[in-house]
Amino acid sequence: MEVRVEKRGSVAIVSIDGSVDGTSAPDLVSSLRQQVTAGTVQLVADFAGTDYTSSAGLRALLEMVKETRQHGGDLRLASVRREVLRVLELSGFTSILQVYPDVDSAVASFPA
Amino acid sequence: MSRRVALVIGAGSVKCAAALGLLKVLEREGIGIDMVVGCSGGSLYATFIGLGVDVASAEEMTRRLWTRELTKRRHYPSLLRAMLPQLFPFQESFGLVDDRLILQRLETAFGKHNFEDARIPLYLTATDFHTGEQKVFSSGRLVDAIRASIAIPYVFRPWKVDGHLYVDGFLTDPMPVGVAIKNGADVIVTLGFESPYQHRTTSVLRFAFQLSSIMSNNLLRANYAFHNLAHHTEILPIIPQFRESIHLFDTDKIPYVIEEGERAAEQQLPYLRRLLATTEI
Repeated sequence: MEVRVEKRGSVAIVSIDGSVDGTSAPDLVSSLRQQVTAGTVQLVADFAGTDYTSSAGLRALLEMVKETRQHGGDLRLASVRREVLRVLELSGFTSILQVYPDVDSAVASFPA
Repeated sequence: MSRRVALVIGAGSVKCAAALGLLKVLEREGIGIDMVVGCSGGSLYATFIGLGVDVASAEEMTRRLWTRELTKRRHYPSLLRAMLPQLFPFQESFGLVDDRLILQRLETAFGKHNFEDARIPLYLTATDFHTGEQKVFSSGRLVDAIRASIAIPYVFRPWKVDGHLYVDGFLTDPMPVGVAIKNGADVIVTLGFESPYQHRTTSVLRFAFQLSSIMSNNLLRANYAFHNLAHHTEILPIIPQFRESIHLFDTDKIPYVIEEGERAAEQQLPYLRRLLATTEI
């Protein structure tokens, strides 16, 4: 898994390429937490390059959604591939996470 | 210490045959299964796998076992009890289909076997009609457990085992991941399906099926979310994508269903390999 971070105003866009699973989830949490610690709590996870998420990936996402919301922000997903979206739907995550069709609409969903 | 791998095959009628495609991939890659769990339609395939039936034989047995004829004959006593309860008192053993044929076919396929004959520890789930609790069968006659696990509400009558009345396992959990967690699985490979919704609600039975699908699909998501968050290691969902619609008795589509199961399993294979290669639990 590869993680890239780009800032757009008050929002950090975290692009994830590869699988979010038991072997890579700790790295994802670490990348997202770095942003929160630095004071950026409006996060967009760009899933365009994410081909798979397992239960460990789901737990990582939930952990960071809770953490950003506790600090008054949010973690929102963008460009989620169909197969990954199926896993999110099956596990009920689409009812607690905000999912956007692309990064631009996810960034725009945060108050300026 | 090697990781204990469980295969959980949830409800989904003929679609559950995709488990045979998944099995082909696991066998080819030399990935052993330490336990297998089945529910409803998945109980048939869990049993095939547990008993060590090869893919070709399991496919052939399904074709002989699961045909449209199973639902052709009505269970008239149930119909009369539903329509005229003052004349024929209603009984809880209610089902619109005469179940003698399915029972006969299950006896032919599995009548000689008990759970104790399984090469891989096998668990089949049903639902206690009176308490609503999940029942996990892991000993005794396979035919009884399968018949209880596939007691589709309104269609097949509940099935009595040791004095308890059981209905379809999907009513407590359409994908019983919890059984694998409870029995010590570290890595859980799941194969399950949402119940299809009715295109047109043209009869009381279709109306009942629609309500049943709404409830079971929400139950599936809620339970799956809970187990994903509660389990300490990994749950890997295998989700075949069917371009063709697969109906309850489409046994002629089994080769296609197996192929899609194989394709979906191959997509997750790199990750499964990597996960099993790490020895730490």
